[in-house]
Amino acid sequence: MSAIPQEAALPRTFTLPAGVQRAAMRVATGVALLVLWEVLVRWLAPAFVARPTTVARAIPDVLAQRNVPPGTPTFWGSAEETVLAALEGMVIGVAAGVLVGLTMGRLRTADRLLRFYVSAFFAMPIIAMVPVMELWFGYDWRVRLTIVSLGAFLPVCLNVYDGTRKLPAHYVEVAESYHARWWNVWFGIALPASLPYLLAGFRLAVGRVLVGAVIAEYIANLKGLGSFILFDARTFHQPEMMVAVLFLALLGVAVNAAADLATRRLLPWYRRAE
Amino acid sequence: MSTRSDGGARIAIDGVAKEFGGLRVFENIDLEIGEREIVSIVGPSGCGKTTLLRCIDGLVRPTRGEIRIDGNKVTEPPRGVAVVFQQFGLFPWKTVYENVAYGLRLAGASKEQIRESVPRHIELVGLSGFEKAYPYQLSGGMQQRTGLARALATEPHVLLMDEPFASIDAQTREILQFELLRIWESRPTSMVFVTHSIEEAVLMGDRVVVLRGRPSSVYEVIETGLPRPRTREVLSSPRFNEVREHVWSRLMHEAEQAERELQEVR
Repeated sequence: MSAIPQEAALPRTFTLPAGVQRAAMRVATGVALLVLWEVLVRWLAPAFVARPTTVARAIPDVLAQRNVPPGTPTFWGSAEETVLAALEGMVIGVAAGVLVGLTMGRLRTADRLLRFYVSAFFAMPIIAMVPVMELWFGYDWRVRLTIVSLGAFLPVCLNVYDGTRKLPAHYVEVAESYHARWWNVWFGIALPASLPYLLAGFRLAVGRVLVGAVIAEYIANLKGLGSFILFDARTFHQPEMMVAVLFLALLGVAVNAAADLATRRLLPWYRRAE
Repeated sequence: MSTRSDGGARIAIDGVAKEFGGLRVFENIDLEIGEREIVSIVGPSGCGKTTLLRCIDGLVRPTRGEIRIDGNKVTEPPRGVAVVFQQFGLFPWKTVYENVAYGLRLAGASKEQIRESVPRHIELVGLSGFEKAYPYQLSGGMQQRTGLARALATEPHVLLMDEPFASIDAQTREILQFELLRIWESRPTSMVFVTHSIEEAVLMGDRVVVLRGRPSSVYEVIETGLPRPRTREVLSSPRFNEVREHVWSRLMHEAEQAERELQEVR
């Protein structure tokens, strides 16, 4: 009997709240990686190779667009091009992906006609098509728009398809017993029931769209962060280049974090429902 | 077939049979369900009671025969008929309020109608205060109250109950049975109550239909002759026990026969 209060009375070591601990562990890994990068580059690489300290020092200049030689792409002008193209691609790709995914999921004919090809396009590296798209469209924005739209369309379409196929039959039965028409079932039942799948597709789409935009800019030499990175890399401005890379990484992380937040706020049912 | 004392027939089931890919589930079902009558359907599992209910709602087409509601042949889910499902069939992305409003919205009800009707029906089933809750936040009993409110909100003439309390714990089930009876007293409709519980069938029904055989058909229709409004006293009345034992013997006989057939096969 007496052992229990004794044990409770033992002097407790100081512990941080669980959330702070997790954040601290995450930061610790990041710091270790940065230190490793700094040490390795200083030890092994020539001076122009970017390392954390030089990148950090380059950030203010790049963001303020100071010391930009004439004929050099500016950071914000490039970022605007890439972000807008990515946004357009997301809008077109998600809208088309939802529509085609729902159609394939609900209509067996559409499934048989289309799914094989959507899956095949999803599996193949669309980027490989950029050189030939240049021949079709010319060296302009249409190449990039095609790449980013497909990059968003394919994962969203396949995920919405999956979600719609897994729609519990009794939801449809309930809807039909209340006289639902096909569009009520598609957009009122199948689509909301597939939202968790749509979100998974959305996350994949964000990654594919950013990669697609940058690579299309490399290859087709379009104004944007892709050509900004290419130019700085080739002119030995590696720290400046790394600022653009970090910006793209942060953009991807931020969009996905925003999607997570929106999920928790707008779809409170989603993680807990059946 | 016994004649009813109350009003014209609302549901007329005439020579109905259903096959699934050559397997005949039931045949020669003839049944009339009157206005303000509750008819319970019992039978061994797999006898097609739920399929029969789906036929009445037009979700499934009978292979033979026809079903008429107020004289109109059922070919698709008819207006004025609402179903309460065994698995509740609530949409997890909708709140209690939106689930209850679902039938009204599909029927094209006006905003005023919905604002008036939905809270009233949420109150009727005792869920006031839970309007904004999602199904995952509710117990099974509360989920089925929501399902009941959704059905009642469309002000149906016919209520089809598909083993509505089968997946609810015993105590809550008894509470819901008497609540349903109370609600029915305040607004009587014709009701088909499919269940595998003999007690429930007798407690709810004016008549109990026993399905039997393979393929199954109506073996016997029993008038319960229990008074309405039905209260808990009914459960301990001699008449209740008598009817329950009668239904029990009809069903057990078949269960034993099925057992014997199985042994012969072995």
